[in-house]
Amino acid sequence: MVDMELAFKIAGGGFALVFILLTLLSFTVWLTKVVTEKITKIKK
Amino acid sequence: MFGLLQSGFQFFTWGNALMIVIGLVLIYLAVGKKMEPLLLLPIGFGIMLVNLPMGGLMDYEYQLKAQKPGIISNISVEEGNPFKKDAAIVQTDSGAVASPIHGRIKELRVKKDQKVEAGDVVAVILTTEQTNQAEIPTTPVGLFSRFFAFGIMWQILPPLIFLCLGALTDFGPMIANPKTLLLGAAAQFGVYFAFFLAIFCGFTLPEASSIGIIGGAEGPTTIYVTARLAPHIIGATAVACYSYMALVPLILPPVIKLLTTKKERAIYMKPQLREVSKLEKIIFPLITTIVVILFVPDSAPLIGCFMVGNLFRESGVVERLSTTAQTVFIDMLTIFLTLAIGGTMAAENFLQVKTLLILVLGVISFASAAAAGVILAKIMNLFLKEKINPMIGAAGVSAVPMSARVVQVMGQKENRQNFLLMHAMGPNVAGAIGAAIAGGVFIGILG
Repeated sequence: MVDMELAFKIAGGGFALVFILLTLLSFTVWLTKVVTEKITKIKK
Repeated sequence: MFGLLQSGFQFFTWGNALMIVIGLVLIYLAVGKKMEPLLLLPIGFGIMLVNLPMGGLMDYEYQLKAQKPGIISNISVEEGNPFKKDAAIVQTDSGAVASPIHGRIKELRVKKDQKVEAGDVVAVILTTEQTNQAEIPTTPVGLFSRFFAFGIMWQILPPLIFLCLGALTDFGPMIANPKTLLLGAAAQFGVYFAFFLAIFCGFTLPEASSIGIIGGAEGPTTIYVTARLAPHIIGATAVACYSYMALVPLILPPVIKLLTTKKERAIYMKPQLREVSKLEKIIFPLITTIVVILFVPDSAPLIGCFMVGNLFRESGVVERLSTTAQTVFIDMLTIFLTLAIGGTMAAENFLQVKTLLILVLGVISFASAAAAGVILAKIMNLFLKEKINPMIGAAGVSAVPMSARVVQVMGQKENRQNFLLMHAMGPNVAGAIGAAIAGGVFIGILG
C-alpha cells in the first residue's frame, strides 16, 4: 500500500522546491546583470 | 550441430519476434524519418540483439542457493533450459528450491540424491532481469549488461552525458530573460501529475517517481533517477522518454492549440534579446551549482556535471575540453548508453502490462508539462507590460532544442514576423535544470 501522505509531501514539497530554486536563480541572474554592469561602468 | 553447438531457434518466442519488430520500427524511424537517429538507431539495434536467444549480451549470473538442508530428490529443470520466475529448479526432501527470477540454467551444481546444506549453491542461473541487488545479487557477464551495470547502475554515463550537454548549452537566452526560468519550473508540474497518476495505477513510490520524471524530457535525468529508484523499469522509462522527445512535434502542437487562442499565438516578441556578457555567462554555472546543490544535495551529480560542462564552454580557456565534450566524448557515451538501454528490452522483461502503462503515463507527463508551461505564461501575461507569447511556455518541457523549434515553427505560422526560437530556448534550458532538481528531490527522499 502506497503511503499517500508521503506521496503528497514528495509532490507538493518537490514542486515547491523546484519553483523556489528557479525563482532564486532568476533573481541571482538579475543580480549578476546589475553587478556586472556596475563593474563595467567603474572600469570604464 | 552434432550435439556440440546449441542454436537459439528452440528458445525463440513470439515475444522475441514482437520485440525485434519494435526494434526494426525504431531503426526505421531513425533512418527513414530521421527521428532522434543518434538515440533510436542504437536502441533499436540493441533491442534486436537481446531478443535473439542465447546471444547472452544482457546476461547476469545468479547463484541459486538452498534455503534449508536436505537431500535432492528431483531436478526439475535441465542445464541450458529456460524457466519462469518462481519455478522450482530442484526438489529436496525439505521442499523445493525455487528461482526468484526468470532465466535459464547455466550450470547445475547438484545431482540427484546429493545432500545439500543451507547456503550451498544449487545452480548457476543466467538471466536478463534487472534485480534489486540488495535482495537478489547478480553479476553482469554479457557485453551490454556490463555497460549497464558499470555505466548506468554505477551512475557514470548519465552525469557524464549531462556534462557534455552542459558544454553544448548556451544559457544566454535564459540569462537575457530570467523570467523564463519560471516557465521551466512550471513545466515540472507534468512530472508530479504523472507521479500521482502512476500511484493511482498501482505503481510503487520509486516506480511512480521514475515514471513522473519522464515529463522532465531529459533522457539522462530519466535514466539516472530510474537506475537509482526502480532499475527494473528502466527500459520502458528510457524508451518512453527518448521516443516522446522525438515525437515532440506531434505532442506539443495540439496541447498549445487547446490552451491558446489564435490571437495569443500571434503575440509578437522582439527578435533581439539583450546581449549577455561573458562574465554573466561564467558566473551563472558557478552560482547555480552552489545554490542548487546546497538545497538539493542529491542533484549534485547531474547539476554539477551540467554546470562544469557549461563552464568549459563559457570560460574560453579550455577549448579542447569543451570541443571534446561537444563532439567525440558525447558520441562515445551515447553509444554505451543507448546499446545498454536497448539491451534492457528483452521480451521477458519488456512485454508486460506495466510497460504499456508507463508509455501512456509518459505521454501524459509530457503533455501536462507543456500545458503547465503555457498556462503559467498566460498568467504572467496578466501582469506583464510587454506580453510574452504563451507558446514559449510549452518549451519548458525541455527536450532541448526540439520543443523550442516546434514553438518557432508554430509562431511563424501564426505571425510571419515572429522569431520565437531564442525566446523559447530560455524555458527550454530552464526545464533541463528543473528536471535535474526534481530528480534530485525524488532520489533524496526515496533513494
